[in-house]
Amino acid sequence: MIEAILMVHVLFGVGCVLSAMWVLADSLNASQANASRIKWLSRATALCMWLAFLVGGYWYVVFYHTDKAIILKGPWPFAHNYFMETKEHFVITLLLLASYLPIAASNNLAANKDARRLVRCVAAMVVVVALMAEGHGSLIAAGVKVGLLTNPH
Amino acid sequence: MENNTLSKSTYSFGISLAVCAVLNAALVIAKESSKSVAGGMQKITGHHWTTHVLFVFAVFMVLGWALSRKNNNTGPVISTTRLIQTVAGGVVAGIVIILGFYLFAD
Repeated sequence: MIEAILMVHVLFGVGCVLSAMWVLADSLNASQANASRIKWLSRATALCMWLAFLVGGYWYVVFYHTDKAIILKGPWPFAHNYFMETKEHFVITLLLLASYLPIAASNNLAANKDARRLVRCVAAMVVVVALMAEGHGSLIAAGVKVGLLTNPH
Repeated sequence: MENNTLSKSTYSFGISLAVCAVLNAALVIAKESSKSVAGGMQKITGHHWTTHVLFVFAVFMVLGWALSRKNNNTGPVISTTRLIQTVAGGVVAGIVIILGFYLFAD
């Protein structure tokens, strides 16, 4: 059951990527017709990121020490020493970026070229950094797996 | 008709985001380089990472709010191009510092 927490973490992470991607695509053709959708999707991006962050943070603080021990005893210690150490810190920047997206999208995108440029830039960075976090997460999970395969408990 | 002004929150929280992205990286280096810093952060909330998150987010909110009060409540006066460069530069610098620090220095 505890593992379900990690699945929820990944689910909201994917939700953050998809909604930010949608904001990016919609902002390329921003008009009065899709202005409301862009605002709601930017809020959905921030909400998904916050939920992924809180669920993942709870896992990290409460349960991760067991996984960490398995990773460090296994053949892929870098899964913790590099990928977890970097991920746990750059996701803080991702959280701020995702929180900023609704602020940037609150401007009148249909009539404001500069606002469109800003939203495209922020949404693109959310997508890239969130995909990076997903990749890091998969390597951390693989580190636990190879650790368990090498040293079955 | 094009209207190229942005809200004061867009400018102030954008600058705050750039500053906090670099502050986040600086805090990583301080924490990993000094056991007393890491220990102090551990003591405050029970986990160094929780303290780290709360500190960076609190600075983001307070700095964003403070910047929006500048210039008689009109917020910072910079061009949108400069704002985009600041946000992108701060975020990229912060993340590259973290990735590079654990790759080469730690």
